Amino acid sequence: MSGSASVPTDACESASICSIRVAGRLFGIDTLQIREVLGTTVPQLVPLAPQYIAGVVPYHGEVLTTVSFRALLGLSEHAGKNCVLVIGGKEDKEPFGLMVDSVGGVVLMERNALQENPSGLDARSQELFDGAYRMPSGLMVHLDPHRLRPSRLAQSEMFGRLKQERHGGQK
Amino acid sequence: MTRRPDKGEVEQLTKEFLVESQEGLDRMESCLTELELHPDDGELVSEIFRTVHTIKGTTGFLGFTRTQALAHAGENLLGALRDKRLKVNSRLIDGLLKLMDGLRAILTLIAATGTEGARSEDDDSELIAHLAQLKTGDSKLAKVSKSPPKTSAMEQPLPPPLKGALADTKAVEETISVTATSGSGALLSEPSVRVDVEVLNQMMNQVGELVLTRNQILRSAPGAKNFSELARRLDSVTVELRETVMRARMQPVGHLFSKFPRMVRDLGVTCGRRVRLEFEGSETGLDKSLLEAIRDPLTHTVRNAVDHGIEPPSERVRVGKPVEGVVRMRAFHHCGAVIIEVIDDGAGISTEVVLAKAIERGLVTPEEAATMSQRDVLQLLFVAGFSTAKEITCISGRGVGLDVVRNNMERVGGRVELESRVGSGTTVRMRVPLTLAIVPALVVYSGGASFALPQSTLAELVYVPEHEAEQVVERIGTTEVFRLRERLLPLVWLDRLLGLKQIPHVDGVGFYIAVMESEGCRFGLAVNDLKAPEEIVVKPLSEELREIGIYSGATVLGDGTLALILDVAAVGARAGVRPVAEDDAKTDELAKATPSNASQIRLDNSMVIYEIAKHGVAEGENVERMAMPLSAVERIESVPLDQIEYASGRPVLQYCGDLIPLVDEGGVLRELRANAETAASNRLDSEKIARASGREIAHSRGAMATVLICMRPEARGLRRVGMVVRRVLDVSAGTLLDKNAAACPEQLAMVKKRVTMVHDEFSRQAALAPMENLREVA
Repeated sequence: MSGSASVPTDACESASICSIRVAGRLFGIDTLQIREVLGTTVPQLVPLAPQYIAGVVPYHGEVLTTVSFRALLGLSEHAGKNCVLVIGGKEDKEPFGLMVDSVGGVVLMERNALQENPSGLDARSQELFDGAYRMPSGLMVHLDPHRLRPSRLAQSEMFGRLKQERHGGQK
Repeated sequence: MTRRPDKGEVEQLTKEFLVESQEGLDRMESCLTELELHPDDGELVSEIFRTVHTIKGTTGFLGFTRTQALAHAGENLLGALRDKRLKVNSRLIDGLLKLMDGLRAILTLIAATGTEGARSEDDDSELIAHLAQLKTGDSKLAKVSKSPPKTSAMEQPLPPPLKGALADTKAVEETISVTATSGSGALLSEPSVRVDVEVLNQMMNQVGELVLTRNQILRSAPGAKNFSELARRLDSVTVELRETVMRARMQPVGHLFSKFPRMVRDLGVTCGRRVRLEFEGSETGLDKSLLEAIRDPLTHTVRNAVDHGIEPPSERVRVGKPVEGVVRMRAFHHCGAVIIEVIDDGAGISTEVVLAKAIERGLVTPEEAATMSQRDVLQLLFVAGFSTAKEITCISGRGVGLDVVRNNMERVGGRVELESRVGSGTTVRMRVPLTLAIVPALVVYSGGASFALPQSTLAELVYVPEHEAEQVVERIGTTEVFRLRERLLPLVWLDRLLGLKQIPHVDGVGFYIAVMESEGCRFGLAVNDLKAPEEIVVKPLSEELREIGIYSGATVLGDGTLALILDVAAVGARAGVRPVAEDDAKTDELAKATPSNASQIRLDNSMVIYEIAKHGVAEGENVERMAMPLSAVERIESVPLDQIEYASGRPVLQYCGDLIPLVDEGGVLRELRANAETAASNRLDSEKIARASGREIAHSRGAMATVLICMRPEARGLRRVGMVVRRVLDVSAGTLLDKNAAACPEQLAMVKKRVTMVHDEFSRQAALAPMENLREVA
């Protein structure tokens, strides 16, 4: 769990955040947690898998389970191209894919500028989001990749329950 | 020697010591059982001595005093043996085996905890005393070993708790369970493997070659002329590298076999059997992971062979067999797989007993039992919980034997077959793939996605043309079934099962049914299309996806896309398909098929049924059904009419560089030609049977003749004959009817409940000239 973004340390005050876009909204993930950006990839669908799983993608001889961030947000699938990020730091034994609409640039943020989730946030967002940064153009919701890990989602009541619902909606 | 190694060093040394000692003890085990057979072999004693001596030396250095003390006692005894001051006898061997077990137990403890253990039960003083007693007692008085040792003033009463010093049944059982469950060494040897440096060098060379090829490919411009050459080189380097890596992972099955002499020896004592174990092909290589996977099935099988297979000595003498039973373990390569056979020369399996038991347990009805073939009966033994043993012994007979063996084997893509002859023994044959990582598979397409089916579970493929779909797919209640050679198969639509979108129907396009067999389930899997068979590289899936339960992995296909590998048994289970043995009665009843052809489609009584036209008879009545033994048919070919040539009025066909005469009994050729001449673009159904097992139906337009290419057994010279037929109807089991010359001179058979004339000249009149012979019939 070294280099986890969820534990900001004073030693490293600024973090480089990779901005991603999903349904017109801006999100950010610590670049230390991103192994690679695979670009436009269509994951192979896994029938009968939980709804939040977009499928599997090949990556360096491994088969990565890929989470659809749109499905997690409860949105319908993106009509256009998708982009898959390979999430997992260097020492992470189980990397996974995260499917988003598109990946933007990298911004340098002060760690202590991260503001906590507001208490009025709905349960789903409360579960997924890890606070937000204020950007000139608006808010950038910070994501903690460990919260999006498929193994964790499978155990969470909110998403684990959604199994078996995704039929017929592929591609 | 005074320098104390630091902590990290000790850990490393301990690890090495454990692996080495384990190997040594494995060798010692096989040497000991060997020594019992050849008591005068000094080499064996020296080898055992060396092992124990090495352990003693290393433990002394590492500071494991308990092990050292035990090894020391053993070394003393072995030293006496080596200097011929002692004689080898079964008590001595028992003692040495105890020593080995003791050492092994400590090693396991060290591997698990890092210490030798200091609890009260970790006390070896009894064993050490026993070893000392063996040494002194025997050296003083050689006779002692023969008769039970008498209590003397010098010796203490024989230490009673000494496990198994006398062939105490209970104690032996204990040791059996120890050797069987601990898998002796699985714990220790698993994380490391010994590789020949030569193999490593080779691997490095090939990796170097791979890098060079990659560099060239990277440097070559897109569309470069030498691209195909580079691709070929990459291909050959990859293949070589793969082979080398596989070779590095290969371990001789002898490693596995070496555990058995001890087990069989102890089992023999417990069950009161005299058994000799023989090995063949111990050097056959098998992937390390598979070696582990077949350990349990093999243990089960050998236990069965000794406990159920080999008769007690008195019984063997009574039936005139040598007193000593033989269990033979054979390993060899065959068709890209490793075959391991366990052959015993015991009583064999009585089909009557099996059937009686099956009827008693309600698996089959007495009526069905009467018609079952021997192979089908033996198949019953693989049903869970089935055991014919009269009483449950501690070793086997709980009925969790063969089904476990089968399931374990199928899990690694292998198979188990059983052959038995009453009175002369049983053979269990295990077919193990060479590796788990690369498996041959068929890629199928269903609902817009690709899936891989392991070839080991695939029995056959059937194409169902659109216009036949209505007829071959029937419904029983809500279940769809498919009628395949008079047998009903549950049909599972892959796209519906997985909830995939169904591909809109296209006119004129049928579907494929892959007949799957796994863990006793047999069903048809309906898919939209087949892709080429491929050797796929199995990649594991993440835990969340494995939990779904029907995928065993994923693979990257040649075109770069991913395909999920289906766990066929799980797919069947999810679709509600039950294992065949339980299912048979029901489906057969539903099929209303006669018992004789319901479940036994075998090569020897299978018939090809075809139609020929009888010319000169009015249209509509000119069709006659005939049948021919399948064994006589080599291939069924669709031949364009213009390829059939005539030599002195007789039709001939050039076939595979051979000129074969055609036999046109019903004037089919004339009929075809007439049709072709009247320019009627008659569509003629033609079917093609690639092999007895696989069936593929093809459509062809225009004038095509269906020709059965038949082999004439025993005949020399002109061996092949082509039979021109109107069309091939089916392949089915048939029963020959008793010949009644008065009623009908031809040989008749019941095939699919219809009387059919059999064309059996092929086996009867092979001596006659082929042309005349067939003319007569025509």
